Amino acid sequence: MLALQLLATGLVTGCALGVVAISFSLVYATTKIFHVAHAGIYTLGGYLAWSLVVRGAPLVIAVVVPIAACTALGALIQVGLYAKLEQRRATHLVVLIASLGTLAVIQNIVAAVYTPNILQFPIPWSSRVVSFGPVRLTYTQLLTIVVSLAAYVGTMWFAHRTILGKRIRAVASNPMLADITRLQPHTVYIYVIAIASALVCLPGILVPLDLGLQPYNGVTPLLTATIAMIAGGVGSITGAFVLSVAIAVVQNLSLLVMPGEWSIGVTFFIFVIFMLFRPTGLFSAAR
Amino acid sequence: MDFLYSYIVFAEIYVLLGLSTNLLVGIVGIFSVSQAAVFGVGAYVVAHFLMASTPLSFIPSLVIAAACCVALNILVTLPSLRVSGDYFVVTSFGIQLLATAVFTNWATGTGGANGLPGIPPPDVFGLSIETTQQYMLLCTVGAGLGCLCFYLIMRAPFGRLLRAIREDETAVAAAGKNVLRAKVSAAALAGAFAGTAGGFYATFLSFIDPSSFDLDASILLLTMVVVGGARTLAGSIVGPFLLLALPQLLTLVDIPTTIAAAARQLIYGVLLILFMLFRPQGLAGEKL
Repeated sequence: MLALQLLATGLVTGCALGVVAISFSLVYATTKIFHVAHAGIYTLGGYLAWSLVVRGAPLVIAVVVPIAACTALGALIQVGLYAKLEQRRATHLVVLIASLGTLAVIQNIVAAVYTPNILQFPIPWSSRVVSFGPVRLTYTQLLTIVVSLAAYVGTMWFAHRTILGKRIRAVASNPMLADITRLQPHTVYIYVIAIASALVCLPGILVPLDLGLQPYNGVTPLLTATIAMIAGGVGSITGAFVLSVAIAVVQNLSLLVMPGEWSIGVTFFIFVIFMLFRPTGLFSAAR
Repeated sequence: MDFLYSYIVFAEIYVLLGLSTNLLVGIVGIFSVSQAAVFGVGAYVVAHFLMASTPLSFIPSLVIAAACCVALNILVTLPSLRVSGDYFVVTSFGIQLLATAVFTNWATGTGGANGLPGIPPPDVFGLSIETTQQYMLLCTVGAGLGCLCFYLIMRAPFGRLLRAIREDETAVAAAGKNVLRAKVSAAALAGAFAGTAGGFYATFLSFIDPSSFDLDASILLLTMVVVGGARTLAGSIVGPFLLLALPQLLTLVDIPTTIAAAARQLIYGVLLILFMLFRPQGLAGEKL
């Protein structure tokens, strides 16, 4: 019975993680930037939502405003930092260090404003429980599954059916050719980071509803998500999502045999296995 | 006066760490945020051997710690560098978080979140090091040897090979050099530096806890190298001395103690961004 419950919580965590992985994958596959600052945007979204909820704003506003703010911040990071660095022909390493710096800035502004202590959302219905046989899930967890799956389907539709989505995939697969054919990769990069920042706000708000907010909590999900992205095959949205769910389920089931503090070890172990035996990822052929 | 001495001791310990980070990030061009984890492993290993029921003396413990860190770094870099640089980014984040988890949760080995108190002062060839002044001399010798080592390596063919890899990996491979082996050797060397620094740190403070070896500490190390200047010996010396003076300056400004830590990290982040944007070579370095 415990195993079933853990499987269910694993699915919930995995879906939320899947959205993080999709959004990171969009940025990484298109811009080739290892966008570490994404973890900061994830954290920031949750905190902005928290301040709005605490001030009594309606829920719709508490979701829309953080998404808008993070979208703007994402675009700003691309325009003000990554694009500038690219103009100066900065190496990959320099961009990565700048991104890490951005992460440190966002995290510590949050920590300075909201204190590093854990914060809970004052929303009573979020912890109400629904039972499915032996499995008990909270409203938040159900909402997480629904929203995450919707985000996955939405991203798939967007990437394959809209002009902008196709343009993004074109730039991702060959930036040089995209530049020649006037797809304007640099504008696309701004769109991609903005969209990814908006997407990552969803788990950024939903996960803390359940577990509370902490300023430095963004790094572990991002790391797990990048591992899922690599294991799924860089560029494959489905791969990133499916592997996120798989990793989270394995992680949760591992609680049966070892305490929760070591779950990062489990994730990392999965990564090492993939690195050794399937470094291109599971879904890479489907590109 | 003791205050000044302990500042110098810390700075010298961080010079060793700066050399380690510089070797990896600056010279070979491998991004790493797990330097503090390796530093921590060194510190805990030295503490373990000095406090064992049959204690070893300082130098052998230091050698064992360095060896452990070398082994750890080889183990970590070998699988990921085989694939690509971005895989190593993930690996280094993973190692850092994993190490923090181990330091915090493995209570019997590391004292857990409460830390490990009562690490005895070092003794060098039967000579016990008690005062801060003596310790400063010991650290100066240690850091001096580290710098000499770094300088010699950079002049050796091996150093040229590492710099060549940073410039153009494909060309180096085409010239018949084993790129992976060179990178892993550099990482091993970086591990030796970091492990030694950990030993000095543990014995000087006589108390260690996980907070000194977390991701923030790794970011600080990276900031030191970036501000001081990558790829040069001078850079790895200037950076630590400057950035360790920063918290002292911050105490002059009236910041509430609750946000002091965050404010410090915030400044490191801003420094990283600004230096990358406007002066990627740092104060005394070469183009990164």
